[in-house]
Amino acid sequence: MKKRTRVLTLFLSAIMMLSLLSACGGNGNNTSASTNDGNTGGSNGGSEPKKDTITALLPPVSANYQARFADMEKEFNQLYPHLTLKIEPASWEDMTQKLDTQVNAGSPPDIAWVGSTAISKYAALNVLLDLNPVLSDEVKADYDEVAMKYFQLGDAQYGLPAYLAIHSIGGNRQFLEEAGIDWRSVQQNGWTYEEFREAIKNGVVKNDKGETTRYGFVFATSGVTSKDYLSIMAKSAGLPEYFDEDLKFSYTSKNFLGLLEAIRQMIDDGSMPKELSSIDAGKRWNMFLTGQTMITGKGLASFENSARLNNEKIKANDGSAVADSIEAEYIALPVPTFNGADYIPTSVVDGYIALRGKKEPSEEHIKNIGLAINFLSSGSIAANYSNELFLSPVTESARNAAVLEEYPRNEDNIKADQAMMAKAVPARTDIPTDKAAEAIKIETEVIVPKLQALLANEITPQEMYDAVKAAAIKSFGEDGIVVD
Amino acid sequence: MNQTLTKRKKLKLESDSGWGYAFIAVALIAFSLFTAYPVINAFIISLQEYAPLGSKYVGLENFVNSFQDELFWKAMKNTLVYTLLTVPMNIFLSFLIAILIIPFKKRTQTVFKAIYYLPAVASGVALSVVWLWIFDPLKSGIANQVVGFFGMGNQNWLGSSATAMFSLVIMSWLSSHGTAIIIYLAALLGIDNSYYEAAEIDGATFLQKLWYIVVPFLKPTTLFLLVTGVIGSFQVFQNAYLMTGGGPDHATTMVGLLIFNNAFTYFEFGEAAAQSLLLAAIIAFISFLQFKFFGNDVEY
Amino acid sequence: MGLYNNSLGRKGSLFVRNGVIITFLILFAIATIFPIYFMIISSFGDPVEAGAMSYSIFPSKISFESYKFFFDFSPHSWDWLLNSFIVATSITISNVFFATLAGYAFAKMKFKGKNILFAILLGSMMIPGQVTQVPLYILIVNIFNLQNTYPALIMPSIVTVYNIFLVKQFMSSIPGEIIEAAKIEGCSQPKIFWHIIMPLSKTVMAVLAILTFMAAWNDFFWPFLVTNTMDMQTIQVGLKNFRFANTTYFAPMMAGATISAVPMFILFFSLQKYFLEGVTVGAVKG
Repeated sequence: MKKRTRVLTLFLSAIMMLSLLSACGGNGNNTSASTNDGNTGGSNGGSEPKKDTITALLPPVSANYQARFADMEKEFNQLYPHLTLKIEPASWEDMTQKLDTQVNAGSPPDIAWVGSTAISKYAALNVLLDLNPVLSDEVKADYDEVAMKYFQLGDAQYGLPAYLAIHSIGGNRQFLEEAGIDWRSVQQNGWTYEEFREAIKNGVVKNDKGETTRYGFVFATSGVTSKDYLSIMAKSAGLPEYFDEDLKFSYTSKNFLGLLEAIRQMIDDGSMPKELSSIDAGKRWNMFLTGQTMITGKGLASFENSARLNNEKIKANDGSAVADSIEAEYIALPVPTFNGADYIPTSVVDGYIALRGKKEPSEEHIKNIGLAINFLSSGSIAANYSNELFLSPVTESARNAAVLEEYPRNEDNIKADQAMMAKAVPARTDIPTDKAAEAIKIETEVIVPKLQALLANEITPQEMYDAVKAAAIKSFGEDGIVVD
Repeated sequence: MNQTLTKRKKLKLESDSGWGYAFIAVALIAFSLFTAYPVINAFIISLQEYAPLGSKYVGLENFVNSFQDELFWKAMKNTLVYTLLTVPMNIFLSFLIAILIIPFKKRTQTVFKAIYYLPAVASGVALSVVWLWIFDPLKSGIANQVVGFFGMGNQNWLGSSATAMFSLVIMSWLSSHGTAIIIYLAALLGIDNSYYEAAEIDGATFLQKLWYIVVPFLKPTTLFLLVTGVIGSFQVFQNAYLMTGGGPDHATTMVGLLIFNNAFTYFEFGEAAAQSLLLAAIIAFISFLQFKFFGNDVEY
Repeated sequence: MGLYNNSLGRKGSLFVRNGVIITFLILFAIATIFPIYFMIISSFGDPVEAGAMSYSIFPSKISFESYKFFFDFSPHSWDWLLNSFIVATSITISNVFFATLAGYAFAKMKFKGKNILFAILLGSMMIPGQVTQVPLYILIVNIFNLQNTYPALIMPSIVTVYNIFLVKQFMSSIPGEIIEAAKIEGCSQPKIFWHIIMPLSKTVMAVLAILTFMAAWNDFFWPFLVTNTMDMQTIQVGLKNFRFANTTYFAPMMAGATISAVPMFILFFSLQKYFLEGVTVGAVKG
């Protein structure tokens, strides 16, 4: 009796649980065809192409890009009737974590959107597919060489670039002119740190009490964004990469110390706020629009449009403009050069990588992935998101494709962008993944935390330099670092 | 337990145990699938150099590495300091507010309960924008306007190592305590009026009633909030990550952030698992102490 | 009567005391409620890609365009709310029932291995989610093949240790004699649970319902991991679709967040009577 009731309760609770689950189960999509079904494509290919599904994990790069996901799937299917493209939408900030979970679980999507700097991380796990054998020469020729290199490691082509964006700085036209800066010349010819230092000193405005009401230069450096500040400046300070041509860690050279001293100087001059270490991206753009700074960073081509939109709202005078903002015309400017080095722009290349899971994908499946990646990164799709982001496309086919919307652009900024773009250098493809991983660890655990302390005036440039050098010696040995 | 149990009582014990297992059956099934299975996997991973396409067994190397890592201990210290400064204070604040809401008419009570519960529904994005605004380092910042009112100069709240941890602690104090307040309120309602009446006949003051009736009665609730609060606080890193990125110079780096970095920035899953288990062991030890001091359940 | 002596002293001192308390409560409330206020005033902004935040305490413009935009932006805006509702409701119901059951067993029943089992349950809470997330994902997606379904969203939270622990702590104040007495009268445990424990536990069950619903409704990362299509996303995942590479539709996102807060209010107010009048042992006895 006792036993029977016990069994009955167990049974009842099991039923409850099941009914709860099955009640809601009906709506879910069937998932059998999701990932890596590629090896169904057997050996006897030939007469008729096998049906195949390709999955892609894509973030909302721009509003319209996301809105067109369904159309993209449809167009791809029309182009290749035997293929189905399934797009998994993922939010911009959290997408990496989702991808990393899927990769570590051994079931990633076939295609994922990543920044090119992440490639070595995935390559180290052997989850990337080399597309070289499956991409035709015709397809390869469509892409600009500089951008293409960002998705290479060694000889392997692990994906295709979607866009190349220059990370620069930008100024308020009126304030630049008030400070006597010939911004058109700077846009074309660049400037040295010494020239830049004078310019931002002249940009400072104080009130009667001696308080600064407008700074010369403000860069977002709060928290982890401080990494951007240092790396963007380092590009034009004779430190284009963590490793030099001989694969020695370069942030131990005198150039690095020189850059750190310059970073401190600009704050000590009063041209940058002494609270710089906790100014975030939203705050500094607010400072730009409200006239609290002459130049801001980092700057992207699309900021021109954000400033223009706010100007229109100020004119409309309906209370929708940013509070206390003034009319401001955004002028794109190159980063100054430090230590007498050449100007090298920071080019950020994002794009699509091809991934594999636990199952070995068939050659045909890899080929289909290649088709899909090419489809997503060229032609009309690339033309439209590039246009929305104010970037020039990196494929010939996209440059020739029509765009849906036209945005007004500042002619001078277009020329400046082209001048900067022309100086962009291809990515290094010779850095081994273990060295790259070690550098990322030093960056996260030493460089960024020490930089935050340097900006907050808690350590000197020399102390930071010594700390980075010590960490580099620990990781790469005395012979593995640049000494000059 | 007791050896002097009579036969009848023993029988009762047995009958309890049948139903006991039945009552926890669903919880146990769900637990073994969705918690125990992943946890056991984490154990296995902690002994490996993990890779999705073939892991390598490395023994205790990951644990040894963590033990030798200076940063791990620094982060552990930060986490401990943060926990000590936030958890007891937050529980005290919740208790205080719950007690203070009690004397009012039902309608007033409802309004206050709603107000204190409300912030828990705020969107995370709105929260982070507001906190960045509060800790804005320039004059426009809300916190700087407050200290400016008292004649102090601008503080670089999140940017300097002197104030960064303190700012995170303030943020925790002023964040929503809705959950803890609601739990305390519910527990307060469980106290029968007869206890107060009896105490009043003995001439007990408000503080005496608070100390001799309310505090002992709420002990299980306080234990719950302490244990879960410590667990949460030891694992949390989102605030520190979003607000300070762990800086400056690791002044606010928490163990949770290291684990996150190991798992997702460096793809060293084995090390992340090892650090998680070490962290769990420390939390377990602290929880054990808490049970020791607060655990003797009050029986009436 | 009660903790406070409402009858004691002159009317004046009562007034002063309540005044002081109210002032403190309001001051503290302002600090914690500010983010909500900010969320709501921001939702009245124009639905444009925000280049910068407006740092101002009062809205300079009231427009409901963003609410319209929120529903027009994606054909799935209603789906997100509906999915969240289905998921959060299922999780809440199963937790209220099973956690109360298990919590009662751990608090008041005597069976072998009880304390060890409970310690294991509690111990599992102490391991950070970052390392259990991948194995759990493997289980749900690779083994059970459940991605993009409601079971995948619901199952891992079907009954949480947190809730069991909460119930156990509350139950510990129920006098053991009541249960003993019922047993002597011949009540079986299910009957005791149904007729004695459940009525006595209305308050904690209401607390459980509110907290669980809120946690499930606000959960972002797990639903984000296991959904592949927009129509299966929950509201928290859906709201993130308003953020792009370098801009955000801030006002519509806040409008969506404001709308998504409504069900939690409704639940709170419909359950709040259980917080006002507790069910005490005395009340049942009498």
